[in-house]
Amino acid sequence: MTIDFTALTQLQPLFKQLSSGAHLNRLKDTELWVQLELYQSDYESLFAALGFVLIVDGRGFAYFKTELASAYTGKLTRRLALVIMLLFEYQADQGLHLFQFQQWRLDANLLDQLWQQYFALFEAEEINSPKTLAEILDSATRVGFLISEDNAYRLLPSIHRYLDLFVELGNAERPDQIKEDIKEDML
Amino acid sequence: MSLAQYGFQKLVLLNSAGYSRAELPLDDSVSIIAPNNTGKTSLINALQFLLILNKQHMDFGAHSVENSKRFYFPDNSAYILLEVLLPSGMAVIGCVGKGLSHDYEYFAYQGSLDLDDYRLADGKLVAQPKLIARLFECGKLAKIYPQADLRALLYGNRQKQRADEPDLTIFPLEFTSQAATYQRILTRTLRLDKLDSREVKYYLLEIFKNDLQDRNVDFKSEWDKSFADVNYDKSQYDAVFRNQSLISGMEDSQQTRLLLRGKLILWRPLIEKGLNDWEDYNTSTSEELRLRLQTLEEEAVALEKRHEMIYQDRADAKTALKAQQKIESHYQELIIQFQFVSDLAQLQNQRQLLQKQRDELMRSIVNAEQQQSQEAIARNIAKINKEKVDLNRQLQNVNNNLYLQLQKILPAESFELVTRLLSKSVLSLPVALGSAVELDDETAFHSFAALLASRLSANRLQLPGLLLDLSELEPNLFIKTAQELETEINDCERQLTELNSLLKTVETLTQQKQHQQKLEQQISELLVDEKNYEELLALKVGALERLQTIEALQQKLVLLEQEESVLAEQKKSILLAQEKHKSDQKELQSQFQRINIARQQRLDQQFPFTALEQLPHLPCMESTELAMPTLADRIETYNRDCQKLKQIDEQLNDHLSQLHRDGVSKFQTQDTAEQQLNALFNYTAQLSQEKEAIERKARSAVVQVAAILRDLRDSLETFKRRMREFNNKINRRQLSDLKVFKIEPREEDILVRAIQALISTSEQVESGRSFDLFDQNTMLDDKDLNKAKDILIKEGEARGGLRVEHLFRLVFSIAKENQTPAEFEDIDSAASNGTVLMAKLITGLAMLNQMQDSRKAIKTACYLDEAASLDQRNQRNLIEIAEEFGFTLIFASPEPQITARYCVPIATTKGKNHISRLSWQILENLSDTDK
Repeated sequence: MTIDFTALTQLQPLFKQLSSGAHLNRLKDTELWVQLELYQSDYESLFAALGFVLIVDGRGFAYFKTELASAYTGKLTRRLALVIMLLFEYQADQGLHLFQFQQWRLDANLLDQLWQQYFALFEAEEINSPKTLAEILDSATRVGFLISEDNAYRLLPSIHRYLDLFVELGNAERPDQIKEDIKEDML
Repeated sequence: MSLAQYGFQKLVLLNSAGYSRAELPLDDSVSIIAPNNTGKTSLINALQFLLILNKQHMDFGAHSVENSKRFYFPDNSAYILLEVLLPSGMAVIGCVGKGLSHDYEYFAYQGSLDLDDYRLADGKLVAQPKLIARLFECGKLAKIYPQADLRALLYGNRQKQRADEPDLTIFPLEFTSQAATYQRILTRTLRLDKLDSREVKYYLLEIFKNDLQDRNVDFKSEWDKSFADVNYDKSQYDAVFRNQSLISGMEDSQQTRLLLRGKLILWRPLIEKGLNDWEDYNTSTSEELRLRLQTLEEEAVALEKRHEMIYQDRADAKTALKAQQKIESHYQELIIQFQFVSDLAQLQNQRQLLQKQRDELMRSIVNAEQQQSQEAIARNIAKINKEKVDLNRQLQNVNNNLYLQLQKILPAESFELVTRLLSKSVLSLPVALGSAVELDDETAFHSFAALLASRLSANRLQLPGLLLDLSELEPNLFIKTAQELETEINDCERQLTELNSLLKTVETLTQQKQHQQKLEQQISELLVDEKNYEELLALKVGALERLQTIEALQQKLVLLEQEESVLAEQKKSILLAQEKHKSDQKELQSQFQRINIARQQRLDQQFPFTALEQLPHLPCMESTELAMPTLADRIETYNRDCQKLKQIDEQLNDHLSQLHRDGVSKFQTQDTAEQQLNALFNYTAQLSQEKEAIERKARSAVVQVAAILRDLRDSLETFKRRMREFNNKINRRQLSDLKVFKIEPREEDILVRAIQALISTSEQVESGRSFDLFDQNTMLDDKDLNKAKDILIKEGEARGGLRVEHLFRLVFSIAKENQTPAEFEDIDSAASNGTVLMAKLITGLAMLNQMQDSRKAIKTACYLDEAASLDQRNQRNLIEIAEEFGFTLIFASPEPQITARYCVPIATTKGKNHISRLSWQILENLSDTDK
């Protein structure tokens, strides 16, 4: 199979973003995403040849699947997983449809309420204040799980990865085992 | 099998693809039976040459088209033939190799496929060059077709056919334009490669293309186009709004300018005339003024002279009057002084009297100066006073004194002795009650006297124990008469007076001397008085005359003063007149200078003042009298007005270019700056209406953009509807063990919502609802609207335009019994192998069916490799589904599949595959056979 490199105009930014461990989002990185859509198989092969597994999720996000997780990303993943899970639980309690998470507006008020509701759980993960909470979300923003605008965060399609896992977790018989799997699976 | 069913009848390969001969029935389901790698797939792929035609669309899997050509057309007697029953009758479509090039050509004819037509008597196959002739011999009017023409023929594109061509449409498409898509799907369906949702999406979009108003929307350009005017107007509005105060200032300036122009137009000819007349006026006026000043000067000199004379006269008169008044007052004083003097003699008498007193005083002073001492005189006075008191007492007691009493009572001798004893003063004491001597008992005293007398004898007084000789004593008292006494008293008195005066003189000698001097002075004063009096007498004579003189002088003075005051007035008035004239002169000179300067400074010889009448102006209604004295003012005002006009011109130009710089460009199309200004002012005055107009425009722009978006959204809805229909189509029978098998569109939420936001905004605008809301939160600043717009623009730019396909993705929604549906993008990973094969096949067939014209059903064929992976129930289902979609199903497997009608084993002889019609095994239900 031959790859026409001239067509892959966004190769560099794509590789840069993806190899940094960040997620590509359909709406945030529209241009890159369109490139991926157009030349998905080319990119997949190319990256595969370089040793990366490109996952393009039709729900609007793409990432490099990797087995390696640094201590930092492991910690971030764990914390973010907790934050997102509690957020989904909280929002579900508010009667919101989970799959419309892209429409949620995560402002300081919401984060405060989240904190108040689950501070015991957060503190167990050494998330000691709403500020730390915001820091986690900032970190997650850098790897393409959220976008920050108008003094608030919005969840991006890549959050589906977490949501999928939560659903799986909900169906699983042995949640503990799966949770371990999740950790390894992410990033 | 019904004869009436149009469609493929059989496929024949002659000397092709490793087959010496292959006859495959296609009028019903077929199970090709052969071990692996025996050419099952080659057999089926041969159909591509006939059905796909276009080499580019052909797909031989691992083999390239070139290799495939060599494989299928080794020489010029290699044939791929397809017999089809069409409404127009049986027809054959064929493809024959052209020889060493491994190229091939198409031919077709009406009539049934008879293999003998292709076989010569010697058992050899007819070679390509002789084919048409051979067929003609056999009564078949075959014709060679270029690939494109044949494709047009097969896909029913009548436009590309000649009228006399037979109708060989095998694929009656609803839209012949979809032929390429049909071919592509057909290829895939024949091969059943990996099928993912994106490909399905692509095909479905192609299939439904004609239902969708799916034009490529360049949202940004549409938006920009629609909002170009609005944005421009808004920018103009904003710029004008920003500069409102500046513009209102400019409007005032413009008004001033129009007025000034009118004024200048009015005054210009008057100024010209005034300047022409000025020289004459100046000369005549200054001469007149000079003359008048001269006259006034002369008058002033005369007045001055007269004034001096009056001064002199008045001084003289005043001196004279003063002298007369002095004399008069002296006269009056004298009169008062001598008021009580009747004549001169009186004064002389008085003087003589005084002289006499003085002389006497002089004498007494001389006496006093010769007299004894003061003490001696005082002793004399005391002595004389005592004498005088004695005398007075004697005089007083001349009738009743102790002497007399004693004289009466005592004998004469005794008496005489007693008088010697008693002092004169005792004897002269009066006897009376209360006096010094009281005789209260005369009798007792008589007795005593007798006793006393007894004791007296012979000038002796004998008293018990005392003897007093009286002989030496003289009688103290001798009674004198009253007259004697009085004379004596008078003498005493006279002596006393003399002595007192003397004493006084002595005592007051200094005083007397002063008195004398005083007298001397009085005398001399009197002498002066006498002299004055004489003077008075002399003055009395000229008194009347003098009074008259005084009056005359006073009158004269009054007259002089009156004249002087009149003169002062006159002088004052002359001075005033002089000053006035001088100032007039000065004024005239200054006017002369001012006019000269102003004349130099005139601006109105150059543009725009030379063409003011042509410029817009307001006619001036001022009264236009030009008096010469006001010429200077007027011309200066005129110059100032010119200057001002020029400044306003410059200022307005400056401000205008400032506005241009700030983006106000709307009015630059006007011919002149003036018109530009007017347009600007009109616009500014109607700013609020303009704002409304922009709002309206913005709304209609949104409506316009929304209309395009609405097409997109409607297309999306249509597509979704079509997808529901499509899902119904593929779900008519249960597929394998799948409870749910759907291909579902999933909207790209954010985009669809952005579109919806814009559309609903436009609906609000159109319906007029929430109009107030709009006014408060104007549409141009609507945050959500802008966000929606940005999202669509970003998406459109990244994709080079918005299409309905960008609004959704397709997923395979799959669930077995008792499962909730799961979504997959790649169907290969969704279920078991057989199920996946079925799903793909059905999807492909359904898509092909979708494109066919349902009125002209012509059954074609499709192929399922590895059919053994399906159980019989599924196989049957599949056969039925394919049937419904207008396909006969070809199973390929090592084992016969009894669900098919035909079982066709592939035989191999001498390395060549071979399928004979005679080896076909036809499976029929027993009940059918019975019939």
